[in-house]
Amino acid sequence: MPADSCGASLHKVAAVTGIAHTDWIEDYRRVRAGDKPFDSYGYGALAFSRAMADAGISRSDIDGLIVGPTTAYERMGEVLDLNPRWGDQADAVTAVAKACMAIATGMAEVVALVYGNDQRSAAIQYGGPEAMGGDAFLSYVYHSPWGLTSQGALYALMFRRYMALTGTQERDLGQVSVAQRAWASRNPHALMQKRITLDDYLAAPYIAEPLHLFDYCLINDGGVALIVAEASRARAIATKSGKPLVFVDGIGRADLNREATSLGPRLLEFYRPAQHLAARQVYEMAGVGPEDVDALLVYDSFSCHILFALEGFGYCGEGEAGSFIARTGIGPGGQLPVNTGGGHLSESYMQGWNHQIEAVRQIRGEGGDRQVPDCRHVHYVSDVAGKVVSLMYGA
Amino acid sequence: MTSHPRLFSPYDEPMWSSIAAREMRLQRCAGCSAFRYPPGPACPRCLGVEASWEPIAGSGRVLSWTTFHRQYLSAYPPPHSVVAVKLDEGPIMIGSVKPEHVAALAVDRAVRMVYVAHPDGYLLPAFEPA
Repeated sequence: MPADSCGASLHKVAAVTGIAHTDWIEDYRRVRAGDKPFDSYGYGALAFSRAMADAGISRSDIDGLIVGPTTAYERMGEVLDLNPRWGDQADAVTAVAKACMAIATGMAEVVALVYGNDQRSAAIQYGGPEAMGGDAFLSYVYHSPWGLTSQGALYALMFRRYMALTGTQERDLGQVSVAQRAWASRNPHALMQKRITLDDYLAAPYIAEPLHLFDYCLINDGGVALIVAEASRARAIATKSGKPLVFVDGIGRADLNREATSLGPRLLEFYRPAQHLAARQVYEMAGVGPEDVDALLVYDSFSCHILFALEGFGYCGEGEAGSFIARTGIGPGGQLPVNTGGGHLSESYMQGWNHQIEAVRQIRGEGGDRQVPDCRHVHYVSDVAGKVVSLMYGA
Repeated sequence: MTSHPRLFSPYDEPMWSSIAAREMRLQRCAGCSAFRYPPGPACPRCLGVEASWEPIAGSGRVLSWTTFHRQYLSAYPPPHSVVAVKLDEGPIMIGSVKPEHVAALAVDRAVRMVYVAHPDGYLLPAFEPA
């Protein structure tokens, strides 16, 4: 196996100079009323315009484009009328990593990252006979003859086994949904701002048992965009815009593909080997450890991601996440703020993109009622299907 | 009525034929003897491409299970349960489990394979406590 250290080569190579999103609450209201305000490209275009305004730049400054996996690269480039010298398509965390890699290698200097998703108005299915994912993620569909379908059921299997091996209870997991809703209650952009109690959590129906309704992410339309620039360009942009710079301090990645279709990485390993490898990389490149982190943001398609991330990235021991959360506190006022915007469970399901702009807001000090005091390091973890990617954002 | 569900690869059909014959077989690598599931072009352990279709014992141990309380598939009205089993031959397999057996499920519980009919007409391997 190659060395698991990737050094400091991407440390502060690039910074986020612009962030934006669409009006998720208004998007949600209109879609639920039967309206279709935009398609995925429209949401992306709106967010892109606003991100350029936030950074104080124009399209002529941009020489790189990365679009989210929900839109075709060429069509998004056409809609935005961008002819970059470098381009790609990626999920949220990989898009940030790829932007840094392109900048570090001189392929681009100012990269626009653009995501739009009309998943609710387009009735995208994440389970059942029309489930998306297809053969790329075979576990999504391979087991449907037996009645196993939906992302939630895959995480239900994972969490059920975790419960059996660790003694963790449903109410331990429920702390996550309650805490994130408390954060969302302080976030004017969050779709779900009404606080819930542990009793509300436990009283809500099971979907795929042992997961309850509030363990599941929202499904909504919207868009997000970021502008990532080479460090010296970023400083010049920030001087004009007056917005504090937020650097990418570290990146880590490790994947588990062995027995992926039959859920081996989930059921046999809880993603841990990949998390440990990605953790070493991101902490070493950033020069900080979990004890230095001011806020932790986790890709939370399901609440149990938070437990696995806390253990896999060294915030607590294996099997201890439930008691760690109870002791430490991950909600407002807690010692380790987690998913401070409310995350996918309560803010907006922008497939990791909303977490990136929340990280930037917290370090900029733009968190409003949910601002983490003196926030200098925000750690992001994504471990979807055992593909673990982690970022450390720093002031 | 169909004889098997959707096939995902050119390697799937022999497995479904063996299930229809109530004697489930999996590919076994000619080079290193490892069983593999799902069927595929090469042995993930040694990358050998030669394999034979060998019967499996149908025994294994429970890794985990879940019960659906919402309907996603027309063949499976809720509550419907599935179990993940570590076969004695090595691979992990997902199967369905009847409601009356769910209370007996536990991690590491021994289970055995039985054959049940899917509403579309084909046979499916399922699991029940051994």
